[in-house]
Amino acid sequence: MDGSECWLPFPPLPVAVIPGFARSSGRNTFTESTATMSARPTSPPVGASSSSASASARPMNPHQASLHALRLRDASVNPASSSSAFSTRTPGSPRSSRRSIFESETEPDSEIYSPRPRYPSTSELGFPLFDQPDGRRAGSTTSSLRAPSPLANRKEGRERRRRRKEEGTLRGEEHDSMARRWVRWMARSGLGSWTGVCVLGGVTLVKWAVGLSGYSGEGKPPMFGDYEAQRHWMEITLHLPLRRWYSYDLPYWGLDYPPLTAYVSYLCALPAHLLSPRWVALDSSRGYESPSSRVYMRLTVLLLDLAIYIPAVWWFVRLRLGGRSRRTQTIALLTILLQPALILIDNGHFQYNSVMLGLTILALNCFLSNRDVLGAVLFCLSLGFKQMALYYAPGVFVYLLGKCVWLGPRQGRALFLRLALSTLLTLTLLFAPFALTRPPQLAQVLRRIFPLARGLFEDKVANFWCALNVVIKLRELAPPETLAKLALAATALAIAPACAHVLALSWGARGEGETPRPSSTPRTTTIPAPALPPTATLLPYALLSTSLSFFLFSFQVHEKSILLPLLPLSLLLADGKDPHAQEWAWAVLGNNVGVFSMWPLLKKDRQGMPYGALTLFWNYLVGYDPRKLPSGSFIKVLSLASYALILLLHASELLLPPPARYPDLYPLLNVLLSGAVFGLLWLWGMRRQLEVGWAYSPKSADLRLDL
Amino acid sequence: MSLSSIKPPPTASGPPKREPWLTTSERDILILSTFLKSLLFPAYRSTDFEVHRNWLAITRSLPLSKWYLEDTSEWTLDYPPFFAHFESLLSYPARWLDPRITAISEKGFDGWSAVAYQRTTVLLAELVLGAALLRFMRSSRDPQTMRIIAASLFLHPGFLIVDHIHFQSRPVLSGFLFAVLLNFKHIYAYLALPYFVYLLRSYCLPANLPFPSPAGLRQLLEHAAPNLLKLGSAVLAAFAVSLGPWVVMGQLGQVGSRLFPFQRGLNHAYWAPNAWALYTFMDRVLLKFASRLSLTPRAHGIASSSRGLVGDTAFAILPTIQPAHTFALTLGLMSIFLMKLWQRPTYKSFLTALTLCGWVSFLVGWHVHEKAVLLILFPLSFLAAEDYAHFRTFVIASVAGIFSLFPLLFTPAETPIKLLYSCMWCFFTFASLNRVVYRSPPSILSVIVEHAETAYLALFPLLQLSTSVLHPLYLGWVGEEKVADETAFLPLMLTSVWCALGVVWAFLRLVWLYLSR
Repeated sequence: MDGSECWLPFPPLPVAVIPGFARSSGRNTFTESTATMSARPTSPPVGASSSSASASARPMNPHQASLHALRLRDASVNPASSSSAFSTRTPGSPRSSRRSIFESETEPDSEIYSPRPRYPSTSELGFPLFDQPDGRRAGSTTSSLRAPSPLANRKEGRERRRRRKEEGTLRGEEHDSMARRWVRWMARSGLGSWTGVCVLGGVTLVKWAVGLSGYSGEGKPPMFGDYEAQRHWMEITLHLPLRRWYSYDLPYWGLDYPPLTAYVSYLCALPAHLLSPRWVALDSSRGYESPSSRVYMRLTVLLLDLAIYIPAVWWFVRLRLGGRSRRTQTIALLTILLQPALILIDNGHFQYNSVMLGLTILALNCFLSNRDVLGAVLFCLSLGFKQMALYYAPGVFVYLLGKCVWLGPRQGRALFLRLALSTLLTLTLLFAPFALTRPPQLAQVLRRIFPLARGLFEDKVANFWCALNVVIKLRELAPPETLAKLALAATALAIAPACAHVLALSWGARGEGETPRPSSTPRTTTIPAPALPPTATLLPYALLSTSLSFFLFSFQVHEKSILLPLLPLSLLLADGKDPHAQEWAWAVLGNNVGVFSMWPLLKKDRQGMPYGALTLFWNYLVGYDPRKLPSGSFIKVLSLASYALILLLHASELLLPPPARYPDLYPLLNVLLSGAVFGLLWLWGMRRQLEVGWAYSPKSADLRLDL
Repeated sequence: MSLSSIKPPPTASGPPKREPWLTTSERDILILSTFLKSLLFPAYRSTDFEVHRNWLAITRSLPLSKWYLEDTSEWTLDYPPFFAHFESLLSYPARWLDPRITAISEKGFDGWSAVAYQRTTVLLAELVLGAALLRFMRSSRDPQTMRIIAASLFLHPGFLIVDHIHFQSRPVLSGFLFAVLLNFKHIYAYLALPYFVYLLRSYCLPANLPFPSPAGLRQLLEHAAPNLLKLGSAVLAAFAVSLGPWVVMGQLGQVGSRLFPFQRGLNHAYWAPNAWALYTFMDRVLLKFASRLSLTPRAHGIASSSRGLVGDTAFAILPTIQPAHTFALTLGLMSIFLMKLWQRPTYKSFLTALTLCGWVSFLVGWHVHEKAVLLILFPLSFLAAEDYAHFRTFVIASVAGIFSLFPLLFTPAETPIKLLYSCMWCFFTFASLNRVVYRSPPSILSVIVEHAETAYLALFPLLQLSTSVLHPLYLGWVGEEKVADETAFLPLMLTSVWCALGVVWAFLRLVWLYLSR
């Protein structure tokens, strides 16, 4: 590969280009091209730069592509190819290499001026933050290896800092956002260490304020809504023996969530009973909505949020952006936590989705930090809280299976056994109490959890079936059982590509994950590098694909289920705002359309004000402006068109009553519009997964970094 | 004269830089505050909400002559004429939006349209405050610090609690001409005196007062007459426009009786944290120990178990307070500060005197409302960045003042909001101001005082815990109907007395700072 190729301007789809490089040329070429491309096009090519330190510490301004490529170089140790990825120094000077990679971490400016990594972070290389046996963080480990900076480099360092200041995107127009400005102000005012607490306080405040508006079924006897369902479950779990939980007065909000929900309901009912028995009195409390009982119910959601979801996101951000500044992490945290859809449904409409989603994120974090067994257990808990987590199950399954393949026969088989055992054990423990009752309730529990008797879809939901229903009245053509089979087949077909891709990648890298003998090089023993399979980077994409497939094609979907695809999509937001990265633009679009698709529901709940205010505020907070997306790109056209249509729909709904013949005209148009965007999002997710996967070449085992 | 135009001109040399209409950070704050406040639309509303709606109805449906006579609803119009005109202006879009908003009825109307509309008017009215603050900030000598203060004022939890949740439209008042202001909301009458002295001294009279001799006096009059005439005519014109129609209609007495209801008691329903709260508390304590101290309590004082309700507060041991006493006390204390202002008519001195006069009227006024504490906190904020001593005064007064507003929102749903929001506001304001104020080397006395103050502030969380958690638990109030109890008034009394301590102490601090320098 010659240098001129590196001088090409950024291709619109960078990752798609990289594999070409990687495949056409041998071992070091790929990473060299990565490093070069990550430098600004205006800077000289890496090969030409004289000093290794300056080359590696230059603001890398990485493409999303190179980021992914970097993450793919998970750090199985291979000293031979150590140098090539991030600097073009001559081989055989490992110490200087290591310093050049990490020295910028301690420079005062680095925290301040650049939101992007200028060096491969430990976590991006597969170093879990919390994996150090003695509790040290990865950063502290590396600092012990740091050599003092040579004086000769001082002038160069000053020059570098100046350049970084100029190029630093924290001040750049296109990256600026309210969140960023606020974080900057906090640091400037010397309050930097309080930022996390303030984020927590602000998020809590917003969540609680959203809860001031109405909730599902407020003041609507005789059935009320989801709020009443949750309250009712507290009541029956508290007062009835376990064997009657899933069979008591089923028409009135009979329990139809998996056991963990029932257990949590029981736990929530205990303090309620202590505070005021009337809130959860059996039968007589139906529809009870006194002001203080509402506060209590809202409080349970908020406390579970604070206990599970928020720490999970926090940990995820620390993992994903481990090598980036604290500020970047804070911005990502704020972006994800204030994502409007989940707040509006959990704290407004009233549900406990954040528990399920939080458990899933925790599982994801465990996978990313190489604790697969714990991750599997947590994912089972997530499943045991709400069966909806099944949307993720294929993605998680193929990832873990692929990892077993990648680990090779010996370790892989052991891991597989451990995973299978722990999963089985968890599920057994969750369900055992119901199997042990007399008569056993297990069958009844399962029937309640998977209600095949209900229709293909409920209400209006922006998925394939509901959209198809406009043309073909499927429900009149076939009985529910047939439709269920049809939906199952369609879903299986839809998730197949994403799952097959993950499996194929793992198969291509089979056996590569085997831990080398510790004697191979002395340096590997200084920092044990727990390896991640190449598919780890694909995990969010795979979860997005599978959950969106379920949402679009499966049986009995609620409009609220869009929260499931929105979660991995929102996690992609953590990577931050880069005009060239499509992830950010797609993720914000997906979130906005996702909220919009729930508008009919929120309107019913009198959540109109929070819906508008929170969505607009969140977009402003993250600095989103669809007009500033790269001109001519598909995502820009799609975003602008969607927003125009959304505004048009809202305006006409406000001003014109629907025609008498079609009273459901507006929800229907909503379904068609959101369904179309979700369909495109689904296609994009799969394509993106393939692209990111391509960046991993099967030969990359040779290109691993030494660390 | 608006607050902003009284300011000394900016000292910056060179051509003034062209400012953008709104800088990014200003836009951020505006959007943040609008967002939060729009989320609070469905929050708890006090009766003031219906009061204002009723005024919309009165001013829309009735001719001018009947405004102050109408009494279908119990919430009669009792604000000055300019406010009534303001309401009448607001009632036009209201009628267009939903005619039910402007219908006079005994029962009132609180549909979503009325809530959304009235909350929106508060949001918009607040923009006036925002604009005034913006102008003030831009022309300030130290824009960085002023920006913090302006932002903290715009996002003040007091405004949030009183205007946006409790419901009033106060912020609009802060930005207008003062004479208009006076007719807008008579509570600002307290602040009239320092304005008068300051304007008279610095605008009308020459800088160096001549020796008091007949010739000097004549010279003085010649000098002062034109300005005095201009100012006087402006003020009188404003009054004339405001009150004129009612004078012509011969209803001045009716208006007056509505505006100044002296039949009310010394304390409001919930004692405002002022000197009388301490006084009443002392009376209660003495009553407890009356037999031991061989005092004879007055009979009607003991019987007054409804102590704290609107109406006459009867004292059992201590001498009863008459309106005349409070007026004498107010004027006496004010005159001290006005004398000082007369001697040093600088802008800063004016601001301090203004604050102190507002403070005096809050501390010893007749039937003071707890919301009036905002009248102190507002001008005090401008002094906060003066130096560390002023900052400290500001901190104590703010914490005590804001905390004293908490009982206005007694509903459980709003409790987390008021607490969280106030804590965050205090954190951001105090922490960022603390960095910029100058701190002189402390003396031993100041260190001791500071520790005592810190201990005082540290007890606020405990107080909140006991009033909002422990006390209801003790009475078994959670989730149940409230039952009448001997100790029902205790949390309010504790809050009021504890806040009063802080307010009085901060007042003494500021008096010391003002008179000693």
